[in-house]
Amino acid sequence: MNCAAFRRDDVSMPKLNIDEREIEVAAGTKVIEAAARLGIMIPRFCYHPALGSVGACRMCAVKVLEGPVKGIQMSCMLDAADGMKVSTQDKEAVEFRRCVIEWLMMNHPHDCPVCDEGGHCLLQDMTVSGGHGIRRFPGKKRTYPDQDLGPLVQHEMNRCIHCYRCARFYQQFCGYRDLGALGIGNRTYFGRVASGRLESPFSGNLSDLCPTGVYTDKPSRFLGRRWDYQRTPTVCINCSLGCHAVTSVRYRQVVRLEARMSAAVNGWFLCDRGRYGFFYAGLAGRPRQAAVRGETTAMDEALDHARNRLEAFPPDAVAVIGSPRSSLEALAAAEQVSRLKGWRGPALFTDADAALKVRTAVARLEAGLAVSLEEIGQADLILVAGADPVNEAPMLALALRQASQKGAGVVVLDPRPISLPFGFVHIPAAPVALGAVLGRVVKKSVGPAGLDGPAARFHASLPDDPAPGPEVLARAAELLAGSRRPVIVCGTDIATSELVDLAADAALLLAAAQKKPGLFYILPEANAFAAGLLAQPEWTTDRILQAAVDGDVKALVFVENDPLAAFPDRELLEQALATIELLIVLDYLDTPLSRRAHVFLPTQTLYESGGIFINQEGRAQYSAPACAGGAPVLETGGGDHPPRVYGGGLPGADPQPAGQILARLAGDALLPEIRTPQAAVAGSIPQLAEFADGAALPEEGLRLTSKNLSADRFHSGLPPAASADPNEIEIILSERTFGTEELSSYSACLETLEDEPFAGLHRKEADSIGIRDGDRIAIRTANASVELAVKVFDHMAPCAMVVPRLRSLPWQVLGKRIRRQDIRKV
Amino acid sequence: MGPANSNMYPQVLFKNRHPDRIATFEEYRAGGGYQALADAIAHRTQAEVREIVLDAALLGRGGAAFPAGRKMMTIAEDAPHPRYIICNADEMEPGTFKDRVLIHADPHLLIEGIILAAWSVAADRGIIFIRPEYENAARILEREIGVAKAHSFLGPNILGTGYSFDIVVHRSAGRYICGEVTAQVNALMGQRANPRQPPPYLTQEGLWAKPTLVHNVETLACLPHILQNGADWFKGLARTATGAGTKIFGISGKVKQPGCYELPIGTRLSEIIEACAGGMLDGSEFKACLPGGASTGFLPRQHYHVEMDFDALKKVGNRLGTGAIMVFDHKTCLVAATLNLMEFFARESCGWCTPCREGLPYIRDLLARIEAGEGEPEFVPMLEEMKVHLYRSYCAFAPGAAAPLESLLAHFKEELQEHIREKRCPFKKEPGQGVAELVKPRFIA
Repeated sequence: MNCAAFRRDDVSMPKLNIDEREIEVAAGTKVIEAAARLGIMIPRFCYHPALGSVGACRMCAVKVLEGPVKGIQMSCMLDAADGMKVSTQDKEAVEFRRCVIEWLMMNHPHDCPVCDEGGHCLLQDMTVSGGHGIRRFPGKKRTYPDQDLGPLVQHEMNRCIHCYRCARFYQQFCGYRDLGALGIGNRTYFGRVASGRLESPFSGNLSDLCPTGVYTDKPSRFLGRRWDYQRTPTVCINCSLGCHAVTSVRYRQVVRLEARMSAAVNGWFLCDRGRYGFFYAGLAGRPRQAAVRGETTAMDEALDHARNRLEAFPPDAVAVIGSPRSSLEALAAAEQVSRLKGWRGPALFTDADAALKVRTAVARLEAGLAVSLEEIGQADLILVAGADPVNEAPMLALALRQASQKGAGVVVLDPRPISLPFGFVHIPAAPVALGAVLGRVVKKSVGPAGLDGPAARFHASLPDDPAPGPEVLARAAELLAGSRRPVIVCGTDIATSELVDLAADAALLLAAAQKKPGLFYILPEANAFAAGLLAQPEWTTDRILQAAVDGDVKALVFVENDPLAAFPDRELLEQALATIELLIVLDYLDTPLSRRAHVFLPTQTLYESGGIFINQEGRAQYSAPACAGGAPVLETGGGDHPPRVYGGGLPGADPQPAGQILARLAGDALLPEIRTPQAAVAGSIPQLAEFADGAALPEEGLRLTSKNLSADRFHSGLPPAASADPNEIEIILSERTFGTEELSSYSACLETLEDEPFAGLHRKEADSIGIRDGDRIAIRTANASVELAVKVFDHMAPCAMVVPRLRSLPWQVLGKRIRRQDIRKV
Repeated sequence: MGPANSNMYPQVLFKNRHPDRIATFEEYRAGGGYQALADAIAHRTQAEVREIVLDAALLGRGGAAFPAGRKMMTIAEDAPHPRYIICNADEMEPGTFKDRVLIHADPHLLIEGIILAAWSVAADRGIIFIRPEYENAARILEREIGVAKAHSFLGPNILGTGYSFDIVVHRSAGRYICGEVTAQVNALMGQRANPRQPPPYLTQEGLWAKPTLVHNVETLACLPHILQNGADWFKGLARTATGAGTKIFGISGKVKQPGCYELPIGTRLSEIIEACAGGMLDGSEFKACLPGGASTGFLPRQHYHVEMDFDALKKVGNRLGTGAIMVFDHKTCLVAATLNLMEFFARESCGWCTPCREGLPYIRDLLARIEAGEGEPEFVPMLEEMKVHLYRSYCAFAPGAAAPLESLLAHFKEELQEHIREKRCPFKKEPGQGVAELVKPRFIA
């Protein structure tokens, strides 16, 4: 054995010959990938580009005619070498692959007609194409018991062909341990130690990954075959990452969502929130007809009514409130209509602070600093400030894990009890102190030497780490100092606007210190970046509501916004709603607000209208319409097929794109600027003018990161020190993977995955008020009382209480701080 | 115990073997024990020790026969620390019991061997990976490791040289595949005991991704003697020019005195059976034997006089393996014997790759049908096919499992076909188990 032979310092490009065709590939490329470049799809089961080569299934056997090793070899395990000659069609290789199929089919049940995988099953394809038609093995088939894996994944272990993809994905790729391989030999079992719901928030990928029907999609079980589905590329809008997905539509209903490979964004996978977050679009209770004062009304009539009512007010008494869950077309229309009509708004953020954070992130995300999820996976250190990846943007946690697996350090500055599927350094500082901690870590890791001008002044302005500082901070600084490609991830939920600003300057400082840093913000909703680009600083929801209470605004138009769930000041909201004379609501969700509207106008979802969404890294991406709209056949037919409904037109097809409704509300002001959604987009974001048709956008989207930034550079500062009352506890409202995000909270299958409402307390804090883990407490506020179970943590900030912003919890009453004496054990 | 005429053969590994008890530390010392270690540490460089082992042409005794010295040399001088040495005492090859006998005879010989190997590659920690059924041996080793420590042959600052090294005994959870070195390292790390294909080799990235040297018990036990007496002496112990040293043969089956015998490499099979094992049982004729454990092929009558050496067996298309000789007589059905072995291999496959996980039960099923009198003529070509495909498995397990089948088809095909023709096992007077019992589907709970 010669050790030198194993080193891969050879940078040459080997040229090899596969099936009499030449190809040149990068050193280290496996033969299976080299063949794929030639369009030769070598059969495989265990090999997956994201999970790598393990040589378990032996399906990718080829014959090497010339090369360092000869004969039958597994193409997934074999590095392409110069001068190699490979045959995929050699008789010996074909015969062996046929035998592999025979082996795998020894125990595979003949239940294809009732298997959901049938029609897109890799094993089915290989069995047919591999020539194994007739069973000659006389033995009986092995049987296994199945498990209940929860509401998302159906388990049918008898179909297993033991490719180990599920165990490798679940444990190695994602870092969760509750599903894997058990037992040995041909009794090897893939599942959990006992039935129970899967703990990983990425479990739905098992259905995509499994080459046969062991794991199938439970919510879409028995709803159709692959060829029955109308499949359309889409973009996930259940958080700000904008992962790529594919919708499957049947009978006017989205029934399934799968991951769509995107090299830059989500890779091959999707989180469960995104995968199962689409059910709102096909709910039986979805409002599909316009209503005036609660009376179902024809769409045109309702529109005319609404327009006439609006015309009666002076423009200045009308205000538009939107939200970042709308498509860019709707947001742009809201902006242009408001401007042209002289209405107030659109307000796209709840208050000035929320707006400032997003606007700061959008402004500070320089083209040179912005990194994609894929680039995070390549970073050698990631500093996460004021963000909870698994709960705020789950796929980010997966990208961080890939970096961590490659040796990158991960440091998290966050007051909450952060949990990630890998080891990391956690510094639990209070939200207002995060900036100072970030400053100290960065200052300690980058010396003043070599810095000049604004970078040097900024460095000097950062706080020093008092010696001896906390060990964990020194460790973080040491990791950052040793990195070459660090990335700073910054949230915008619990983070202050100063932290959002500081994160960008910290990244710039690292660049000045000769590193290649990246900057990655997490934004509050799918289209928050677009909202940040469009929002007028003077318009926020709280100001408009205040104006309504003051009598200045008399008509409110809510566009795809549910303030009763999301707006923190319930009192102000109720006062405003009670004061105004006209409430118009445009939405596709059945929200409490839409039931109170004077005029309700149903809008289309992303799957019907299509639309552009700009993700948190400024990537404008288009999602094409997936279906024509109309109520699902299963709903209108009452379960019958074909539905016995006669009449013209599509039932339930009244909803229109929100942008179009807004344009019609604008009436005679319908100017060329907003006549079409494309015109509205082009008018609002000139950069997108040539792509305003959405479908023209490139597959991986178009980055809209700001280019002109010099004014903001190195001007950030720390937030003013808050004078905290020592008798008070800060409430940190926090996102959860399931149960806080608006759209996915309409998915019935995700309900059981939601956390029970809880109050997270540091052990010291809990001890000081005599509470133990699992106790129930009642929190008394000015005019309400909330009861919660307590979870006690060691790794979170003291003097704080973490409460999930669950939609099932009246979190609004808690406010920002509570007094200790208002906490009572139940 | 020992062979009746053990004075005919030089006893090296078994020189302190007593019929009724374990050799004590004092006995081991009195016979020159730990002198090789003391001398090596005092007078030789680590490279010299490795060189001597290489010169001695010591081939791994665990079954794969890889040159022990060459394996040691793949640990680079500048390799990172901690480095590990693992003594593979996971003796699970059917028919093999030499390591157990060796540990029970003279535990300090093994302990000194481990320390010597460790010192030669500057290992920091030693692990004896032992099968759980060997609980007695594990306790003996734990006790004697304590004795060695008390005498400063082990532990911190060995013999005042500044070199520190310690050994722990790790009991396996108990699977055949854990004897495969890469699977063993995975098992030690708490992972599934699946083999891992190199590169990287274990000596580069083994246990906890650090350089790791794995040797069999018997291989390590040879080291003190090689160091004390030199490479040429060791090579001279063998009867063949290609061999080196002695070998512990464990003989079982239809012989009068089954047992463990230390004999020069290259001793003829006929001599082992007749001179050591007291010959065949009365009324039994030699039909075939497995020369080196369950993963070697049946050695037919025409090779009865073969020299039991790695090279000589390779020439007749077989392997010396672990040196566990299982003797079958003319009254034994080799289809049933192969079926028995297939039951074992099918059960013990780790389940990683398809040929092994599915191919072995496939073969087992066909053989069971043939043995039960329900064989069909087309089963023979099916078996021929499977035998070839087993070689395309991930690790050496399936090719090893293929060896008995391969030799059955090569040398005893007529016996197989007789089963099919006659629709019964010709060796059974009474009708045997029905196929239903033999190929019972296994329900996995």
